[in-house]
Amino acid sequence: MSEGTGGNLNRRDFIRLTFGWAAALFATGASAAAGARFMIPNVLYEPDRRYKALKPDDYPEGVTFIAEIRTFLIRNGDKFRAVSAVCTHLGCTVNLSADGKGFHCPCHGSQFDENGAVVSGPAPKSLPWPAVSLSRDGRLVIDASQQVPPSQALVI
Amino acid sequence: MPKRLWMLFCRSRVGRSIFRVGLPTSNLERMQAAVSSFVLHIHPAKVHARTLKFSTTLGLGLISLYLFIILAATGALLMFYYVPATDQAYQSMKDLEFVVTAGQVVRNIHSWAAHLMIVFVVLHMCRVFYTAAYKPPREFNWLIGLGLFLLTLGLSFTGYLLPWDQLAYWAITVGTGIAGYAPLVGDKMKFILLGGHTVGQAALIRFYVLHVVALPAVMVILIAIHLWRVRRDGGLARPEEPEPTPQQMPAIALPQTKTYGLMELARGTTPSVGAPADDLVFTWPNLLFREILIFLFVFALVLVPAILWNAPLEEIANPVYPPNPAKAPWYFLGLQELVSHSAFWGGVVVPGLIVTALAVLPYLDRKPRGVGVWFSGQRKVAITIFTVCLLTMLTLTVIGRWFRGPNWALQAPWKPYVAAEERRP
Amino acid sequence: MTETSPRNLYPWFPVLGLVVGALVIVAYYKDQFREWKEWQHAYIQQELARAATPTQKAAAARIPVEVRQILLPGLDRVDRCETCHLVVDDASYAGFQQPLAYHVNHDRHPFEKFGCTICHQGQGRATTREAAHGQVAHWDRPMLPMKYIESACAKCHLPSDVPGAPRLARGQALFDQLGCIGCHKLHGVGGVIGPELDTVGATRSPDWLAEHFKSPATVTAGSAMPPVAVNDADLEALTLYMLSLTGEPMSDYYVSMKTLPGLEAGRRLFAEKGCIGCHSIGGQGGKVGPPLDEVGKRHDAQWIIAHFRNPQAVTPGSVMPRFSFTEQEIRSLTDFLLTNTASSMISSLKIPALMTPIERGREAYVKYGCTGCHGQDANTGIRNPNAKTAQQVPGLKFVSEGYTKDELKKRILGGQKEIVKLDPQGPQPPLYMPAWRSRIAEGELNDLVEYLMSLVPKSEQEKEAF
Repeated sequence: MSEGTGGNLNRRDFIRLTFGWAAALFATGASAAAGARFMIPNVLYEPDRRYKALKPDDYPEGVTFIAEIRTFLIRNGDKFRAVSAVCTHLGCTVNLSADGKGFHCPCHGSQFDENGAVVSGPAPKSLPWPAVSLSRDGRLVIDASQQVPPSQALVI
Repeated sequence: MPKRLWMLFCRSRVGRSIFRVGLPTSNLERMQAAVSSFVLHIHPAKVHARTLKFSTTLGLGLISLYLFIILAATGALLMFYYVPATDQAYQSMKDLEFVVTAGQVVRNIHSWAAHLMIVFVVLHMCRVFYTAAYKPPREFNWLIGLGLFLLTLGLSFTGYLLPWDQLAYWAITVGTGIAGYAPLVGDKMKFILLGGHTVGQAALIRFYVLHVVALPAVMVILIAIHLWRVRRDGGLARPEEPEPTPQQMPAIALPQTKTYGLMELARGTTPSVGAPADDLVFTWPNLLFREILIFLFVFALVLVPAILWNAPLEEIANPVYPPNPAKAPWYFLGLQELVSHSAFWGGVVVPGLIVTALAVLPYLDRKPRGVGVWFSGQRKVAITIFTVCLLTMLTLTVIGRWFRGPNWALQAPWKPYVAAEERRP
Repeated sequence: MTETSPRNLYPWFPVLGLVVGALVIVAYYKDQFREWKEWQHAYIQQELARAATPTQKAAAARIPVEVRQILLPGLDRVDRCETCHLVVDDASYAGFQQPLAYHVNHDRHPFEKFGCTICHQGQGRATTREAAHGQVAHWDRPMLPMKYIESACAKCHLPSDVPGAPRLARGQALFDQLGCIGCHKLHGVGGVIGPELDTVGATRSPDWLAEHFKSPATVTAGSAMPPVAVNDADLEALTLYMLSLTGEPMSDYYVSMKTLPGLEAGRRLFAEKGCIGCHSIGGQGGKVGPPLDEVGKRHDAQWIIAHFRNPQAVTPGSVMPRFSFTEQEIRSLTDFLLTNTASSMISSLKIPALMTPIERGREAYVKYGCTGCHGQDANTGIRNPNAKTAQQVPGLKFVSEGYTKDELKKRILGGQKEIVKLDPQGPQPPLYMPAWRSRIAEGELNDLVEYLMSLVPKSEQEKEAF
């Protein structure tokens, strides 16, 4: 009857087994880590977070809705600001209020004031304001990965 | 320190609900481990000592199984990026190569494991034949094995189309063309397989579903039955041992636990009660340890070519102009070579004969000669026939792969086989 | 039975485990050292070195190292060229070495709408230099050499129209003059002796095309096409034009600018739309509307544009129809009218209603590619080996002496498939006269016959020479 190794391991075998399991677990861990990194996408099939819009003069005074990135561009003379039109509740597109100041969301009735702050409704936080800058070839760039305070504007 | 924490966890209520048996320290616990664990209980608690010897089976079946597991894992990963639409499939392959971390490597592993699996499955079948392990009571397991072999070919074939490049498209056009030659059902089969008359979007999505869902599901079921039958048929085939005479049986004190007793008492090629157990060793750790080693070996075996050689990707599929020549995947090249001489004989008769002969083999060759012995002298005829057929198919495959060039003309093997700059007008 | 114990196999366990672990790490890291990362790091270093203020330095330090791509769903492409070519829109990098160099002349074709490969070709999805430039096996469309870059304009624009692509226009003009259409079909029009040319730019390389023009029979065994005898510059222009024929369908957005405002387009529209039916130039034409001689001196561009958009609004009571021109077409016509309606220009406009039958016949002769086989002067036909007619396609100068008008018409409509052999044992001459029955209009046929009949040489010297 063959005995197992329970209890009677000599030191050499113990080292070998321990190293063996360590190596095997290391190999497993490395594979799992590689597999996990494999799952993280390096390119996105979505519009760029840094969106290149038109030249500043192509936009009229007041509020323009840029549908591709669901953002309102607000022009005040030569000051440019951008506010996201994605409701912070569950992601519907908000509309400009009838009086032109503030926004409201048709899905669950959230109301935002002209600074994007929540006035009423289930939205948990105010609308974000992506940073507006000028590209090297003179076009507006709306960067959704950078948030700025509502009062901050790009001045041409 | 970590071991302490682990032991604490194992002894806690939560731990004990998961691991009913701790690390075995006694024979009883070794038995219980094999039986009570979901993963381990595919094994019996004890196996014959022969099972542990490398020369018994060369581990070929186990290697095939491991390759299947590796294929399933890498395949699942690839599914997160591959799109089975004719206008996106090729592009998603390019994405895997260029913008997915380790994308090329995962694809390479998948491709190499696929080719290796066919090789090892065939080698496994040869081993089973040469050790006469298909003879009763193992006939049905041989049939299941045949089914697994055909499934392996099917999985490789359906996967071959998915990159949607010239190689894929035309290999499948040729392959389904061969299938269409089957009498009576050939055309209908081809129509259902392709979802149409030509290889197009319908074919791509059908092949994808077959490759990813249908065939693997059947494969898993058949593997499970195959492994269970190994146990049911009394373990790996081994030569007959002389029956002990009743006087040789020592008195056995049957312990109280019923399960323990049954396992201690089984011996011989079929389960039997009342005979002493000998030559049986505990699965844990003897067999399991060797199985872990073999898995590490197989994983390394697949990683080496995956690092060195990229899986091929040619131009995007052009349904109008094939490469010259258009060759089937290598495992069908023997058939394509035959078909190039005669579509009926090569595409229908010969493959049909091969499959039928393999299927009826264990029901015709029933004499228990040479079971468990490699190349037993008592089976010269059977071994000769099998070897001749095997070498013939191998030769045909070699010819098809290395000796056929443009327009399927015979040419020297060192010449490139695809006509260069065969551009269309 | 200790020989079954796995003890002696224990050493293998850590060895195999380490081997597998090492292989996994090697396999993973093989992927990590991508060449584009080096270029991106080089770029960041450059930006840091150039940074003058702390904010600029901070901005430079924040530049991410990642694959950059332009999604072009309208073109069915993804271009990742910007992963290495990071500063194509930064003028401060003008004249630098590639890949960190500025791309001139891109404002009319912004990168995020057009990408790169639509003009330059190559493999947009790749992220290594060789693969992206397409100089690898199994990629059919490697990057175009810069000297052929104009060929890409024809994907969206009309070749004769593009101001920045003069050689493309020259190539098309040569194609029309040389009569290639006599043997080759293009856009559904042409002869059937040679292959169709609709996708020749997509299936043949620039080198192949150039070689083929120089000596067709060397490149394509058995070809009956004569070598195209033009100088090097014209050869390049022709190759360029061939490269532009890719047959790629372009979506609406991209072909909306097909007609670029320009004189050529205006001239063509003027002739096509039949303006001469109501208006006159140099006394020739219709009398319904006012004469257009030097109209630019009487009205400015704005007036003319508004008038095209809505004639009744600008000139109440006008009977001029409201053509549904696109904005581009209106601008082209305006350009043309402002500059090209001197009374003397009328003949160059080639308006069929104002031409003589013989002039129109000559136009038809060129239009249907007769020049390709019978020659520009209708006298020196190209080689036709083993043809009884002196092993050439016959000249047409004396056709009026051998045929009546009706016979000539029949011959043109019916063609002649079987050409009489010089040596009966020799091969069949490769060129033959196609049947133009369903392809030439009756009016054109009459004009063509008039033209051919008029070719009889006038002087004895010419007769001698022939």
